[in-house]
Amino acid sequence: MKKHILILDDEANILELLGQFLSSSGYQVTPVATASDALKIIRSESPDLVISDLQLEDSDGLELIAQLKKEAPNTPVILLTGVLFDSDVVEKVLSKKVDRYLEKTSSLTKIRKTVESLLAPASSS
Amino acid sequence: MKDKTTSRILAFFLLISAILVIIAVQAARNIKQSGDSSDWVNHTHATLLEIEALRTALYVAEASSRSYSWSNNTNDLTTSQKALSDIAEHLNITQALTRYDLTKAKEVSDIESLVSQHISSIRNILSTTQASKMETARRLSDADLGGEVSITIQRKLKKLKDRELAQLTERDIESYLQAQKTRWTVWAGVTLNVLLLAGVAWLIKHDIDIRRQAAAALQVANEQLELRVKERTAELANANQKLSMDNLEQQWTNLTLEHQLRYNQRIVDSVSDLVFVLTKTSNISRMNPAVLHLSGWETTDLINKPLSHIVELVDSTDDGVHSTSGSLKLAMKEGRDLREQEAFVKTKQGHQTPVILSMFPLRDQDKVVGGVVTIQIKSNSSNTTF
Repeated sequence: MKKHILILDDEANILELLGQFLSSSGYQVTPVATASDALKIIRSESPDLVISDLQLEDSDGLELIAQLKKEAPNTPVILLTGVLFDSDVVEKVLSKKVDRYLEKTSSLTKIRKTVESLLAPASSS
Repeated sequence: MKDKTTSRILAFFLLISAILVIIAVQAARNIKQSGDSSDWVNHTHATLLEIEALRTALYVAEASSRSYSWSNNTNDLTTSQKALSDIAEHLNITQALTRYDLTKAKEVSDIESLVSQHISSIRNILSTTQASKMETARRLSDADLGGEVSITIQRKLKKLKDRELAQLTERDIESYLQAQKTRWTVWAGVTLNVLLLAGVAWLIKHDIDIRRQAAAALQVANEQLELRVKERTAELANANQKLSMDNLEQQWTNLTLEHQLRYNQRIVDSVSDLVFVLTKTSNISRMNPAVLHLSGWETTDLINKPLSHIVELVDSTDDGVHSTSGSLKLAMKEGRDLREQEAFVKTKQGHQTPVILSMFPLRDQDKVVGGVVTIQIKSNSSNTTF
């Protein structure tokens, strides 16, 4: 059975390209553009993993993640953002709130490997 | 290309047919010859019978005439006369039978002359006896019957008979040889045809075997080709998949970089301070919207112009070193900042707005490639007009 990934970004091109890549890698992908849509999906379908941008149309990515951790604490989250900061500092801060932090300039292959590592069975992680 | 096997088989069958035709022709000829021989044999036997009958009739005529000459018995006379009649009949038949052979015809003709002469002698004896001239008849009988003429006739008849017998024997031998020849011809032809048929059968079997082998080889080749096609298709599918992934990666890279650039641009555009990017020669290469908003200039008015076209340091002079451009170039060259310098902005309408200028060298891997100038409006400025 295919693993279900929810991806959240306010840019349609990002959603389409990332969704296409993860689908061709064998995952079931649900793309959404707003935090409210994302919460609906999380509550109704319980995706296996969430990939979210930091900046959203109707919310802040970190707020959404805080909400998600309350409702589905076992669902891993990857924060995928294009905001340029000092990566080391940011990573230290954000890694406390999310399971993985990746810059959008990371390659699709790296994103997929990160997904695979989070979705791997517990014995192999 | 014509099938060689078909040509060969056709050639074989033509050869078989030719041999059958030869056998048939030979057999027909032999049958005809046998028929002719049979006719000749019958003819010869008839001739022999007539010759023998003639000889017998001569003997009977001689014996009965002699007996009549001595006994004057009418039975002998009758017998003799009948014999003479038989002689004439047999002689005619013999002549008829031998008329087509000139040699034999001549011999029979000679015999006929002698027989005629002998018959005359016998008739003379009979008539003499009938005339009761017994002594004369006996004398004539002793002289003519069994004499030279009679012996010559018998010899000639025997010679003729022997020759016929010899020819009969020769013809028997010829017939036998002909039969043998026919037998050998037929058997040789049949044997040859059987061999040719065996050859044809072998050719057909050989051809079938070759075709089967070719079909099997083709099957194997097809299977190998199919396998290679499958492998190649899988390779191409993998290559295509990889290309698709590479394409996606490239699209993602372009998209994220574009997103990043756009975001950076938005940050710069949102700053209320005036921001200029200068080349190493202190010409303006970029600026943020705040510059245009404050100064009233258009982008085309400022791009590639020296910063002094719009901004002047308060302490600047017209000499190269202490001019605004000279100061900026020197600072960039030395890689040092210029912080919070008093300056003023010249608007398009000609007004001057006092500002605080700071310049920071723009570095790319420790190499100064230009400078970034930020300008803040002095908060107590009363000349902020556009």
